[in-house]
Amino acid sequence: MQPAVALRGITKRFPAVLANDQVDFEAALGEVHALLGENGAGKTTLSNILTGLYRPDEGEIVLFGRPAEFHSPRDAIDAGVAMVHQHFRLVVPFTVAENVVLGDHRDVGRTFLLHPRAIERRVEELSRRYGLAVDPRARIWQLSVGEQQRVEILKALYQDARILILDEPTAVLTPQEAGELFETMRAMAADGRTVIFISHKLHEVKAVADRVTVLRRGRSVVTVSTAEATPRSLAALMVGREIELGRRQESAGEVGESVLDLEGVGAQGDRGSAAVKGVSFSVRSGEIVAVAGVAGNGQRELAETIAGIRPRTSGTIRVSGRLLSGADPRAAIRARVGYVPEDRLGTGVAPGLSVANNIVLKAYRRPPVSRGPLLRFREIRDRARRLMHQYDVRAPGSHVPAWHLSGGNLQKVVLAREFSGTPAVLVAASPTRGLDVAGIETVHAYLREAAASGVGVLLISEDLDEILALADRIVVMFEGSVSGERDAATATADDLGLLMAGGE
Amino acid sequence: MRIERRLRQPWWLSVAVPVVSIAVAFLLTALVLLATGHPPLHSFRRLFDAAFVANGALSETVVSATPLVFTGLAAAVAFRMNLFNIGGEGQLYAGAITGATVGLLMAGAPSPLVVVGMIAAGAAGGAFLAAIPGILRAFFSTNEIITSLMLNYVVGVVLTYLIFDSHSYLRDTSGFEANVFPQGKTLPDEAAWSSWTINGLVLPLGFLLAVGVAVFVWALYTRTRFGFEVQVIGDSARAGRYAGMRTRRKILAVMCLSGGIAGVGGASQDGDFRHQLDPQGLQQANYGYGGIVIAALARYNPFAVLLVAFLLGGLQNAGFTLQGADFPAGLVGVMQGLILFCALGGELFVRYRVRFDRSPRTVKTAAPEPAP
Amino acid sequence: MNNSLLVVVLASGVLYGTPLLYAALGELLAERSGVLNLGVEGMMLVGAVMGFWTVQRVHGGSTVALLAAIGIAALAGAVISLIHAFLVITLRANQIVSGLALTIFAGAAGLSSYLGNDLDLAGSPARHQFQEILPKSLQDLPVVGPIVFGQSILVYASWLLVVLVALYLTRTRTGLNVRAVGESPAAADAMGINVAAYRYAHTLVGGALAGIGGAAFSLSITPQWVDGLTGGAGWIAIALVIFAFWRPTLCLFGAYFFGAFTALPFALQSHDITRFAGLYPMFPYVAAVVALVLVSSRAARLRFGAPGALGLPYVREER
Repeated sequence: MQPAVALRGITKRFPAVLANDQVDFEAALGEVHALLGENGAGKTTLSNILTGLYRPDEGEIVLFGRPAEFHSPRDAIDAGVAMVHQHFRLVVPFTVAENVVLGDHRDVGRTFLLHPRAIERRVEELSRRYGLAVDPRARIWQLSVGEQQRVEILKALYQDARILILDEPTAVLTPQEAGELFETMRAMAADGRTVIFISHKLHEVKAVADRVTVLRRGRSVVTVSTAEATPRSLAALMVGREIELGRRQESAGEVGESVLDLEGVGAQGDRGSAAVKGVSFSVRSGEIVAVAGVAGNGQRELAETIAGIRPRTSGTIRVSGRLLSGADPRAAIRARVGYVPEDRLGTGVAPGLSVANNIVLKAYRRPPVSRGPLLRFREIRDRARRLMHQYDVRAPGSHVPAWHLSGGNLQKVVLAREFSGTPAVLVAASPTRGLDVAGIETVHAYLREAAASGVGVLLISEDLDEILALADRIVVMFEGSVSGERDAATATADDLGLLMAGGE
Repeated sequence: MRIERRLRQPWWLSVAVPVVSIAVAFLLTALVLLATGHPPLHSFRRLFDAAFVANGALSETVVSATPLVFTGLAAAVAFRMNLFNIGGEGQLYAGAITGATVGLLMAGAPSPLVVVGMIAAGAAGGAFLAAIPGILRAFFSTNEIITSLMLNYVVGVVLTYLIFDSHSYLRDTSGFEANVFPQGKTLPDEAAWSSWTINGLVLPLGFLLAVGVAVFVWALYTRTRFGFEVQVIGDSARAGRYAGMRTRRKILAVMCLSGGIAGVGGASQDGDFRHQLDPQGLQQANYGYGGIVIAALARYNPFAVLLVAFLLGGLQNAGFTLQGADFPAGLVGVMQGLILFCALGGELFVRYRVRFDRSPRTVKTAAPEPAP
Repeated sequence: MNNSLLVVVLASGVLYGTPLLYAALGELLAERSGVLNLGVEGMMLVGAVMGFWTVQRVHGGSTVALLAAIGIAALAGAVISLIHAFLVITLRANQIVSGLALTIFAGAAGLSSYLGNDLDLAGSPARHQFQEILPKSLQDLPVVGPIVFGQSILVYASWLLVVLVALYLTRTRTGLNVRAVGESPAAADAMGINVAAYRYAHTLVGGALAGIGGAAFSLSITPQWVDGLTGGAGWIAIALVIFAFWRPTLCLFGAYFFGAFTALPFALQSHDITRFAGLYPMFPYVAAVVALVLVSSRAARLRFGAPGALGLPYVREER
């Protein structure tokens, strides 16, 4: 039986990297097929080729037995291929129905005039059929992230996509919502559609996919049936060697006094409602405390509140015993709170500025980097050179604009800067997002080293594996409050998952 | 066609592009002239003569260039931080109003004191006006483009009103003509700004002041902590906040600096050239908008602003001189517009590298391989 | 009664508001697609001068001449806006600077003046102009007569245009697409919508409408050609779009509102009220600033605010 989609010999080159190297891939009708690989393996590039965003340098695409050539995303959509991206492509002020029908020119969409009622009915029909509950009249900014994802899937179904690609869809879902998504995926497959599920999470791949294709460094390594594979074997294939899915070793250093104390801290979110409600916990010198939880439960806002970027509406924060004034990043910096933000390129680093200038982003105010109102350029250059060497930042030079650096190198710049400020507390929000294994290991090493030298590390992460590997203690956040605190040594993924979903 | 951002902007490109733009603009203008039956070379020669060569032309060009340097610097100062202050026009008017008022009020005081007073008043007037869009932007996230633009018209109306519709302090109510031909009160002699003549070239105080401001702005933006913060916030306001910079205060400060510079330009108009508050003259001249054009062409570099203002001042001057005398009216605007269009288009080549790729056709393999 | 101050002001409000309405509707369409065009004043002036020229040159009856004039004015406006479109859409230039350059190029000391002089248009009145078209009996009705029935076809056409634009944006597929392009070009692109094409189309239409607005000046309000005839109306139109929260129906009321304030000083003078008359023209601008501040709070912005991608060039991401 011929496959629904076959990619043969796909090669795609970018100026700095060979993203896909003679990749072969096939998925059958009515199958959930996982595409597994670490960050930078080429999964997203491959799917962008399949959806018409990129053109392959070599190779061919065969859909339902016939060769296909896509000149734009439109062609792919017309051919029945749709993708749900990690970053949603939704028009925020529009309603669900408007987003679903956007750009469509078939069926109900064939007419010039819009028929809102008919569109809403069809959306409701699809919602019911595939278990994607959402109100067609709601505006996107009113929806939760999980609901927004459902809209993306509805878009694809509305266009009658026969091949759906989901790119890391569970990153923004609770374990329960992920389970619902898996049911939706199976329902779509049962309908004869092909679902391609991109992930780097081994247990999910095992849970929902029929077969899995592993990509590594731009090449397709193997395709196996998930029934026969184990997480360990898949992990080995992904990375090319056996890796330890390990746990936190015994803390290397002493755990000392409390360096960060939160008492009843509250803060408003961007939408006007409270994002952080009465959060209390402490971090002691030398320990790594992880804040676990699905994205969107207030962790980002909590980090911003501690760093002084977001105003505190209630409670107190003490750093090294002293009260921290609210809404003042400078006070936090002075109190030696280091902050590695989630948004690396836009917040942690000024993208258009040189690496050197970014390194002194916080230090420029004081000698030796400046003397009075004037900057001292020699000092800036020297410091940059020193730190780039010490932290192994790969770049043509310190004058290069920051946007040019890869994710891993950018993160090294941010870490270099924060560490060189000898922090008492280091808040790291999703520090390994988008990095490849080497990058992740580097960041983990720095965090451990920081703790060993007495820094109190507050790690915010959505990746339970990472948390279990690094943390001494785990604080779980759900809907803005702490739903539970556990010792890492005794915590289990199930227990944490339950807390992440609000259970007890 | 593919465009990719350049890693490094080679310095020669930053110079070549404006120069080539001007050359292309001249070419296009020549075409326009030809198409409408005017001799291009002859017209250009007359322009050049009127701008730089003729007797006293250079001094006249300095006169035209002086306000443009102020407004050009004002625009550059703000635009460098991605603050699109297009209120330079109104801020200049405001400075002219406050400058003239102080000039009249201080009649009788020693001249240097009056001049300093006018400069200070001009700066204050422009700064206060610019503070409005500044505050709205910093504290209410209101788009400063539109607010500063609208205020141009508000101040313009006030400016006209002061002389034409009211019997204000600034209006000349003496003489029987006063009611029929409204005019501003002539400023006292103490309020006249000095000038220095070198080899026949007249350099008014305003011009020298403008050069000083250019040097100051350059130093401020490239050598100081203030300038560093402007760079960061201009690039990414979020990164600025993250780094503990007081972004809102900085926005206000830069807007006030920008407005203040334009305001001094307005005071210079009173003290150097017009010696009264001259609503019609100021409003017809469009110094503020010209300054934005100059700042953009100069790519916001203060020294380049000086140069470009001089060139465009020459053009402006030539336009005035040649007006009517069987020289196409409106040509100056056309040329300025074309120069700017070419510069804008050329900007692409400075920031990006353009590649024309033949996208490779997908290569079909010989026979489909069996599924693994 | 029909000579009372109020009626006169309202009637002239409609008259003076009409060019504003055309230009504002055009700018609204361009801005809805994400393109900010500050060159409205320049486009209006070029439309005014070319429309005037057509009317002076075309042989044939009044209707033919005026129709041709409107057509030429629209074409002229569109051609000028093409420069801006090319610079900001294809060459990704800064939209503010480009728009200002357009005003300098085409405006009162630029191309429109050049053409006006070269074509010898100053001095003589228009050979044809837009007159009231409804019978005198309707025009004499109290209050509504002069205001509603005493207008030219340009005014009535503008009402139709408001309805069409409103329906277009809210009820048609293309309208939905253009709104998406203005709010989130990445999302629109991902759905296969050609962002550049939509932006070009709407910017050109914006230019055409601005040209017609300019012709309303030279062929209706002051039926002759003078340098800088529009006197800043283009800027008011830009303010008007904001004041109307980017909605066509509100543009209608706003245009007449602003038009009334433009007419107010003259009307007051003829009724011998001159106090502070000179300050009234500042009102539309202040109103626009206030409207903008109101719209800027985050909550309001989602419901009433500017299209999300207004003023930003769109580059399809490619690593």
